[in-house]
This record gives sequence, structure tokens and C-alpha cells, in this order.
Amino acid sequence: MDFTLSPDQELLRDTARQLLGRECPAELLRAHIDDPAAADALWLHLRDFAALGDGPLTDLCLFAEETGYVAAPGPFFPTAALFSPLLGALGHELLAPAVAGEVTGTVAVAGADGVWRANDDGVKTFVPEADRVDWVAVVSSGPAVTLVQSPSVRRVATVDFSRRMFEVEVGSDAGPAQSVDPEAFETVLERATVALAAEMAGTARRLFDMALAYAKERVQFDVPIGSFQAIQHKLADVALDLERATSAVYYAAMAVDAKDADRHRATHVAKAAAGTAATRAAKDGIQIHGGIGYTWEHDLHLFIRHAYGSEAWLGTRDWHHDRLAELLF
Amino acid sequence: MQLAWGPEEEAFRAELVEFLDEHVPHEADAGFDYADSGERDDSDLIPAWSRAWQATLFDHGWMIPAYPPELGGRNCTPVQTLIYLEEMARRRVPRSLHFPGYAIVAPSLLEFGSDDQRELVPAAIRGDTIWCIGMSEPNAGSDLAGLSTRAEVHDDQFVVNGQKVWTSYAMAAQKCFCYVRTDPSAPKHKGISLLILDMETPGIDIRPLRHISGAANFAEVFFSDVVVPRENLVGTLNDGWRITQGSLAHERAGLWVEGVSRLETTIQGLVNLATRRGLIDDPIVRRKLAELSERAASLRALGYKGFSSYAQGSSAPEHSFMKMATSELGKEVWEYGMELQGAYSAVADPDRGEEDGRWVMGFFMSFANTIAGGSSEIQRNIIAQRVLGLPRTR
Repeated sequence: MDFTLSPDQELLRDTARQLLGRECPAELLRAHIDDPAAADALWLHLRDFAALGDGPLTDLCLFAEETGYVAAPGPFFPTAALFSPLLGALGHELLAPAVAGEVTGTVAVAGADGVWRANDDGVKTFVPEADRVDWVAVVSSGPAVTLVQSPSVRRVATVDFSRRMFEVEVGSDAGPAQSVDPEAFETVLERATVALAAEMAGTARRLFDMALAYAKERVQFDVPIGSFQAIQHKLADVALDLERATSAVYYAAMAVDAKDADRHRATHVAKAAAGTAATRAAKDGIQIHGGIGYTWEHDLHLFIRHAYGSEAWLGTRDWHHDRLAELLF
Repeated sequence: MQLAWGPEEEAFRAELVEFLDEHVPHEADAGFDYADSGERDDSDLIPAWSRAWQATLFDHGWMIPAYPPELGGRNCTPVQTLIYLEEMARRRVPRSLHFPGYAIVAPSLLEFGSDDQRELVPAAIRGDTIWCIGMSEPNAGSDLAGLSTRAEVHDDQFVVNGQKVWTSYAMAAQKCFCYVRTDPSAPKHKGISLLILDMETPGIDIRPLRHISGAANFAEVFFSDVVVPRENLVGTLNDGWRITQGSLAHERAGLWVEGVSRLETTIQGLVNLATRRGLIDDPIVRRKLAELSERAASLRALGYKGFSSYAQGSSAPEHSFMKMATSELGKEVWEYGMELQGAYSAVADPDRGEEDGRWVMGFFMSFANTIAGGSSEIQRNIIAQRVLGLPRTR
């Protein structure tokens, strides 16, 4: 098993890191709280990478880790990690413009219980960006997919400013549904789950980097607080969870790409490990920052919010542990 | 990134598997049992079958695969070494039941020893000579450099006085790799030397030390005017501290495999236990077992990721995490085995408890891994200071 990045993968990661560092500063995240159009300029850059939605999952994860690092808002994640793979599973003609970055889309699956399984509920829940994308792919039991434009939606505020969530009404006049192979649909959800775990690993890394930097610069009792063992051990534990989550993500991505028999288990492991890493980095990050980390003014909360929003989406840790249990015993 | 090893690596594995199928003694199948070697009879610390097995591995070049044939290896690449460790751990086959000679003494002598001392290496690796390591003392545990066993130079010899403790296999050992203070006036890291002691030398008193399970595989060792020839000094006088870091450098990147494999085996034991006790359909039990499995699986991924960096020539911070993480998780896993037994969790009566009380005993013994070889707290210090670059604790 080889985790070494190819030169192309290194280039992709470095390019993403530079681009997102430049184009998605905290000011953009703050402007986006009240005006989602504030992320439009970012999409004009990210659309160049929409083809990742139809390529190896490892590459998409490398990119998603960087979007997670900056908590990038907008249509990139729903389009590349959900919509395009679903179009691919359908063999749909919109795939070409979607991977070209010409159209955006999102996917609506979960019903009232918030669980991402095909169902016939009249209202779909936790659909990101549903008001601003070109297409919403509504999945009903079968599974069958209906592509709709401008459905009736309702914004559901969550703590996460970077991922705007919606309820989508399943209209009766939505047009014909196209059935999708159940196994292919499962792979779509698996891809999205691993990509989300990659994003969360990125967000966890951001929170960890902020806490580590603060521990080195903040002086109390005449020394940097990072020289105290209580802080050092907390950071060592966060670092461990971060490292194992990141490893689990790329193992899962490789397993999905290789269609390995372990891919289902690996997906649950990746999302659960990423959830642990992100929420621990969030909790301990705020604690290490002390009072300043509790303020609106400091950027930390933008990432803490994204960490918890992501943990709740596409299955919590408990949910993934329960699925893993079904596979293991 | 790729998931599978290549055909060449798999051919290497096949060759190893063929060798193991033919040669592994049946006792070795139990060698890595859940509770390790703690329950073994004290008088048979290193049984004859294990000595024969170690010699067989050496003679076929499977003892330390990265070494050349004369040192019990076959000049393996890092990936081949990892596959070797993977396969041995998967089959739970121990190479040896006494690690100090092949894992610590041999690489240290190869790097720092004189020509005469390097001649001791093949027997150390083959297990013909049993070694113990004189490091920890009553007042020098985590603070190893604070050791106070003294060696004074008289003419052409050293005279050693003091005490070591937690000395594994001291009762069976012929030789001791002993760290002593040779310059009490120097700063503590700079006055330490390393000597080779013959355990038959007059003045050495060995008292077996029972550990928490009741068995004894380590000892207290007392030195009273023990005379050691000058040529038994390893390396330079007062420069012994840097040799304490010695270990099989080319295997360090893969040693986590055994820890993770043991975790996986023990977690499977938990699943079996829960099934026997009718708890496997309990949602809380299922969630907990899955969480433990998830953590073990993510550690396996982390180990491989670290190995990839190592094989590329970078120092791999991942390895600093593996000892702490596997040993701490191990403790939780064993304790959960007790929890699943409810009121019977503390029962050691073989006729009343589960499996000879091995879960409670395994839990007790799992503390060895979070304490020995650098406690979890020391590991966190190392991660914080060497990996994360935080300032030293005052």
C-alpha cells in the first residue's frame, strides 16, 4: 500500500492550496454569511477543477482537503462530489457540461430523518446550495432520479455558514424519473462521503494549525503557553486524531478507486475518523485559544462551525459506526 | 497512491509463506497469545522450541531480512521488510521470545562496537546468546539519563556498583548491555558509558521481580564491585547516551504492524466474547465494538502512510504516534472485554469466569505497553516538541 503522491497529485494539491489560500480568505467567509453571492468569484476559479468530479476519488480528496482547510462555500462540493458522480451513474448528458464547470448542481436524497437513503418523502432535507445551483437531482426510492430546476426550497439555518442547507419540496410536476443502478448509486454516496471526510480532515488541519500557532505565540506566566505540558499533550492528541483521519480518508479513496472489497468498511471508517478529528480539533482549538477563541471577531468559529456542520451531514459518527457494525458482525 | 503491492512484492510474500508453512513450530502459533508471555512458567522463560525457531529463521535468512545472510537476513528492501513484518504479525508468529539481543544489542554493536564486539552480533541475532539491557533504575525511569549505577576506572578495568530494575530476561541472560555513570561531575547526559557485562561475573545478584499478573520475566539486578575488563567498553568513554537511541532503524518504520495486528485480533476476541454472552445484538455494544474497530483500522492506515514517507526517505512523524496510539487503544480494548462480562469482569476462577480471566489479566498486562519503552506521556512530549515544534517544558 503506497500513500506517496505522484508528481501530478503534488501539483494538484499545491495548486489548490495556493489558489484557495488566495481566493478564499476569512473576509469572503464573513461576507458570504449575509450574501451568498460573495462566493461567486470563488466559483469562477473552482469551476476549472469541476472535472475532479468525474476522475479518481483520491484526486478529488486532495482538492477537497484544501477546500475544507479554507471552509470554501459555494457550489463546488455539491457539484463535484455529488451531482457529477450521480450524472455519471445515470449516463446523463449533463455530465459533460457539469465537469466542464458550465453548470452547477446538487443532490437531494435524505427525507425527514436526515439519512441519505433513497426514499419517497415529500420533502428532502439537508440539500446544500439548492437555491443557487442550476439543477437539483432529486432521488426517490428505486432509486430513481429526477432532475429539476428551481424547485421550491426553504433555507434551514445551521451553524455552518460555509454550507448553506435547504429543504427541497418534491414536486408532482417534476418530470420523468430515471432509474439508477442501486450499486452505482451506493458508490455515488460513498464517493461523496469520503470526499466530505477529506474536507473535514482539511478543516481539522486548519483548526489544529491555528491552535498550534497560537500556543507558540501566546505568552502567559512569562512563557508561551505551548511550553506547558497540559497544552502540549492536548495538541499531541489532536494531531494523532488528525493524522489517523487523514490516513483513513486516503485509504478509503484508494479502496473506492480500486473497487476493493474493503471500500464499504473503509468509507465508514474514514467519515467517523474525520468526525472525531474535526470535532476534537474544534473543541480543543477553542479551549487552547481561551477567551479570544470564543469571540465573533476571531476567525476560529468559522471553522468550528464548518466542522460541526460537516459532522452532522452524510451520517454522523454514530451512524457510520452502526453501519460499520452491520458490515463487521 | 495505490492500494495493492506489486507482483514482485507478492512473490516475496509467497516465498515467505512457503517457508513459514514448512518450518513454523506449532508452539509459535500460541506465542502471541492475547496475554503475551506473562502466564508462562518462570523457569522456562525462553523455551527450547523458541530458541530452535529463532536459529532456524537466522539460518534461512528470515530473522532480520534487511541484514545480509551472515547476520540472519537476505538484504531485503524496506517494502519487503514491511511485508515480512506484516505476514509474521498476521500469523501471530513471534521471531523470538527475547528481543534485547537482536533488536537492541545487535544494531548498537554494529554501529558503535569494536571489531571484537561486532563478533558478538551473529550469536545475539541467532539467539545463541541471551542478552539483557541494564537501563532503568529505581530513580531513573522516564528520566533515564538520571541513572546512578557507577563504574570507576581502576587500571585496566571498570568496577561497577549500583542497581538496575525492570531488567527483562535477566534471569536467563548470559550478557548484559549495561549503562553506567563514569563521570559523576559531568552534566547527566555526558557522563554515561555503555559496558558489556558477563552475567557470570562475581558480584551480580539477580532477584526476579513479579509483575502484576504474578509472573516474572524481569528482575532487579544488583552490582557489588563487579569487575569489567576495559575492552568491554562500547564506543567512547562518557559517550554512551547516544547509544541508548539504538534500535533496528530499518525496521522501526514497520514495527507498528505487530501492534495493530494484535489490536485487530483482540477486537475480534471481543466480538466473539459479545456473541457468546448474547450481547452482540445490543446496539450500544455494537456501536462500541465498531468504534474500536474504526480506530484500529485508521491506525493501520496511518502506519502505512508513515511507511510510505519512510520508504521515500523522509522522516515520518506518523511513527511517533503509533506506539502511543496502539498501546492506549489496547488498554481500552482489554478493559472493554472486562466490561462485557458485567459482574463476572473481575473473576479469575477458570471455572466461573470467561476464558481463564484472560480479559482482566490482559487489561492488567496492557499497561506494560503504555509504560515501557517510553510512557504515553513521554511519547506526547516527544510529539509536541519534536514533531509539532513546541518549546521544551521547563
